[in-house]
Amino acid sequence: MSDAPAKAVADRLLKVKRLNALLTPPKDLRKSLGAQAAAARPTGVLYGMPIAVKDNICTLEFTTSCGSRILEGYRSPYDATAVARLKAAGALIAGKTNCDEFAMGSSTEHSAYGRVIHPLDKTRVPGGSSGGSAALVAAGAVPAALGSDTGGSVRQPASFCGVVGIKPTYGRVSRYGLVAFGSSLDQIGVLGRSVHDAARVLSVISGRDPRDATCEDRDPLRLPTVPESLQGFVVGLPREYFPSELDPAVRRACERAVRMMKEQGAAVREVSLPHTPYAVPAYYVLAPAEASSNLARFDGVRYGPRFNGAADLRALYRSTRGQGFGAEVRRRILVGTYVLSAGYYDAYYRRAQQMRALIAQDFRNVFDRGVDLLFTPTTPTPAFKAGEKLSDPVSMYLSDIFTVTANLAGLPAISLPIGRVKGLPIGGQLIGQAFLEEEMLEAAYALERVVPATDEA
Amino acid sequence: MSVTRDEVLRIARLAELDVDDDTLPELAEQMSRILDYVAQLSAVPANGAMKGFVPGPDAIRFRPDEVYPQPLAFGPDEFAPAFKEGFFVVPRLDQFE
Repeated sequence: MSDAPAKAVADRLLKVKRLNALLTPPKDLRKSLGAQAAAARPTGVLYGMPIAVKDNICTLEFTTSCGSRILEGYRSPYDATAVARLKAAGALIAGKTNCDEFAMGSSTEHSAYGRVIHPLDKTRVPGGSSGGSAALVAAGAVPAALGSDTGGSVRQPASFCGVVGIKPTYGRVSRYGLVAFGSSLDQIGVLGRSVHDAARVLSVISGRDPRDATCEDRDPLRLPTVPESLQGFVVGLPREYFPSELDPAVRRACERAVRMMKEQGAAVREVSLPHTPYAVPAYYVLAPAEASSNLARFDGVRYGPRFNGAADLRALYRSTRGQGFGAEVRRRILVGTYVLSAGYYDAYYRRAQQMRALIAQDFRNVFDRGVDLLFTPTTPTPAFKAGEKLSDPVSMYLSDIFTVTANLAGLPAISLPIGRVKGLPIGGQLIGQAFLEEEMLEAAYALERVVPATDEA
Repeated sequence: MSVTRDEVLRIARLAELDVDDDTLPELAEQMSRILDYVAQLSAVPANGAMKGFVPGPDAIRFRPDEVYPQPLAFGPDEFAPAFKEGFFVVPRLDQFE
């Protein structure tokens, strides 16, 4: 490949620098893209496609800081499996995207490298934690980007920015090289301009990987064909996802999408997932508990900078972690340590684990009764104002209310644009059955084709 | 559930995390609010026999017991803060707790 396409990719990315969505310095980006273009395999199915990668996914070319000071300047000695597969398919890794520190956040305001700006309204957040990936796709700088989704971190920013976001079934994509936050919840996902762009990338990165014992022993996802209609699909509308306090514009957009699914031949029925109200509380016990354990490895000994002056080893740990982690990560480590500590484990952690089982059972009950897919809003509101939820962590956590359940139950889900309110995008979510992404993507293709994604709801 | 300043300090010690005095009151208040919020899980009757749910394969797959070459492009001397002669260098541990 000549230098021209690589130069064009770099130019497009640097043109949207004002969004603060890309962490890779321009010089490094130009140099690497040139080298990658020269080495790219022309027969690969993604030949020449620029794909940005969230900064918590390891890449050889670029630093992997996870949006944190504690990994500032860290270069991974290996590529994540997902990244290696993109390269093998001829894609160009188009730099690392800004994100909430260690993927903990719903607004991409919790990055040590500054907040990401919403591409359509600079006063608002792009969602998070994969906000940089979503903003770059929405701004047209790249056709697709990798993100990670632990509680909605691909789908919520996709919804806020008006792009497509897929979280695959847990075990569909290898987590090797994804810096762990909540290991039983994390999945690498894809953000794209369209269902097809995102699905194409997902099919390349999916499939068995001996380096990740939690990755299922399955072939890569096959790309489904675009269906003629939704004839034969049974779509469930869980009543707990349409509460009376739902933003009226979000409700209108969902109702319009449902009408269109019916017109396409889908059978739509109301269903119930009764334990949904407990999903966010369960998630905010389990995810911090896993995070407190996973982030124990960052201590100023093996990776990243050392913040010290300390003469004693424990003082070194404490000063490095105290200064290296930002406020939200510190808060979650403390909550996680608390719920796992003696005397509190049964009251919090064990109960949250049991609640997770009940939530997963709710989904099984609905799918066992003949429902193929569920349709819900992705988020309760469109993108909120920057700073609006920063001082109140619980209010921030509630923006994940419709997305965390798919992570708790390990199910695939996709968010796609279904309308706008005052120019801000609204996303609709389809939740599928485990490892039935093809069916979910077929329905998403059909819905995408008819829904007026940029019209006011 | 109100978390006291001393509890925050105890937990921070367990987590090997320095917390400065200025942020302690706010941290205690926010932790209390989070723990109050998640405490609604106790509204659901506890079932001691019920197992938790973890997604993923039902059983761990074993790989052949063979030695593979390290798939690293470079060694820890390039990314560790202090590394000498094959060892990570750290200050002395003054005392065990």
